[in-house]
Amino acid sequence: MGRMRCFSLLLALLVACGAEDPRPATVEVISVEILAPACGAPQCHSTSTNQSGYAFDTLATAKAALKQLVGTGGGERHNLMEVLTANGGKLMPPDAPLDPQDITLIETWINNGAKGL
Amino acid sequence: MRTIVFVVAALAAASVSRRAAAYPQYQLDSEKTCTGCHLAPDGGGILNENGTNTAETTAWRGGNGQWMYGMSKPSWLDLGGDVRGAAGYVNAGASSAAGYPMQAEVSANVHWNGFSVFAIGGLRRPQDQGSAIHALWSREHYVMWQSNPEDHEGFYIRVGRLLPTFGLRLAEHVVYTQRYGGYPLYGEVYAVAASYVKDAFEVHAAGFIHDPIASAEEHGNGGALYAEARLGDHAAVGAEAKYSASDDAHRTYGGLTGKLYLPGPKLQLLGEAQVIRQDFVAAASDKVTQLAAYALASHPFGGGFLLDVGAGHFTEDTRVKGLFRDCLDAQMHWFQTSHLEWLLSARVELLDLGSHTNGGYLLAQIHYRL
Repeated sequence: MGRMRCFSLLLALLVACGAEDPRPATVEVISVEILAPACGAPQCHSTSTNQSGYAFDTLATAKAALKQLVGTGGGERHNLMEVLTANGGKLMPPDAPLDPQDITLIETWINNGAKGL
Repeated sequence: MRTIVFVVAALAAASVSRRAAAYPQYQLDSEKTCTGCHLAPDGGGILNENGTNTAETTAWRGGNGQWMYGMSKPSWLDLGGDVRGAAGYVNAGASSAAGYPMQAEVSANVHWNGFSVFAIGGLRRPQDQGSAIHALWSREHYVMWQSNPEDHEGFYIRVGRLLPTFGLRLAEHVVYTQRYGGYPLYGEVYAVAASYVKDAFEVHAAGFIHDPIASAEEHGNGGALYAEARLGDHAAVGAEAKYSASDDAHRTYGGLTGKLYLPGPKLQLLGEAQVIRQDFVAAASDKVTQLAAYALASHPFGGGFLLDVGAGHFTEDTRVKGLFRDCLDAQMHWFQTSHLEWLLSARVELLDLGSHTNGGYLLAQIHYRL
C-alpha cells in the first residue's frame, strides 16, 4: 500500500513537471527556439562554418543536421542526446549547456519518432 | 589529450570571441559620446586622435597610441587592426582546457571632407571541408557621410555592411543581452543607418536586410532603433527597439538601458533589460517571450587596471517554469600599454536559481591593437 502511494505520488509529480512545459515537442520548436540560438552561432554550427558537417542556424539546415544526428528515432539515445548530455569535454554546447527542460523536450520529440524531418 | 584537442577545436574562434568594440565602461567618466574617441558614431573600430590620447593616458605605460606607434601615412587615411587570443579552461560538467584565436582583423578608413569609406577585414573560421578562401571576410564595410567631420557631434549617415546600433554594446559578446538579445556577435547586416549624436542625447536608426551571401547571426530583414539621453554629466538612460523577420521567425526586441557614473568611488554602473518576442513562422501558434538582462559595475584603478563585475539573467521562454539561467561575471582588464590589453575573465552560470550548476569558464585573453 505504501509502495502504491509512493508510486502515485511520483506519477503525480511527473505529470505536474510535464505540465510545466507547454511547448509542443516539434522539430520547429526544437530547431528554432532551442538549437538555433544555442548551437547555430556563425562561429559554430552555422551554414558558413558548418562545423563537423552540422548547421543549426535555420530550420532547413537544422532539419538536415537532425536527420544525421537522430536517424529514425524510436526511443534510443542517438548521437544528439549523447552530445547534449555527455558528462565531460564532449558536452555541447561547450560553454553554456542546454537547460535540462530543453533536453527533455528534445528527448520527447525523439521518443515520439522524431517527426517532421 | 583527445578531450583537450576536441575542446580546442570546438571552441576555435568561438564562444568568447570579441569584436573590435568600444569600452562603454569609460563613457561617462571621460567623453559622453562614442564619437569622442571613435570614428564610428556608435563606437568600435578605429580610434580618433582623442581616442588614442585616452588610450595613452589610461594605460600603465601609454607610449605612442597612434597606429603602429605613429608610422607615417597620408592624412586622408586612418588605419587600425586588432589581434586577440585566449586560453584557459571551461567547465561544462567537467573541466577542460581551452585555447583559441578570436580576432585577426585590419581596418582602413579613407576620408574626404564629410565622406568616408570604412572597411574591416580579416580571418574567420572557414567552413569545414570548404575552401580556405572563405576564411577571409569583411564584417563591416560602408560609406559614411557626417555633417561635422571636425567635431564629435552631428549627423551621420552610413550605407553598407554594419552592425545596427542597439543597447550597451559591450566588447564581450557573451553578455546575455547581446548573446540572446538584439546585438549578437557577427550580427552585421546590410543597412542604411542614420545617427544624430550630441552631448545631450543621441539617436540611431537603421533599416536592414540580412547578408544573402555570408552567413551571419541575423537571418532577417527589419529595423533597429536606439536612443540615449544624458541626464547631467554622469547619468544616461536609453531605449531600444528592433524588428527582424526571417523565413523561420519574426522577432521583436524592446528594452531599456541605464548608465550612472559615481565620481567619488570612480564607479560606473551599466544596465540593460530586453523583452524579446518570437513568432515562429512554421508553428504559428507558438509564440515565445524571452527576457534578457545584464548589469555591470566597473571600476578603474591605478596602473591601467579596470575591474568589471557583472550579473546576467536570461529567461528562455516565459511560459515554462524554471527555464532561465543566470550568470556572474568578473573581469580584470590591464592596459599595459596603449596597444596591449590583458584580460582575465571568469564566469559562473547557474540554471533555475542555482538548482543546476551549468559550469563556467576562466580565461586569460590578450588583445593587441595595431
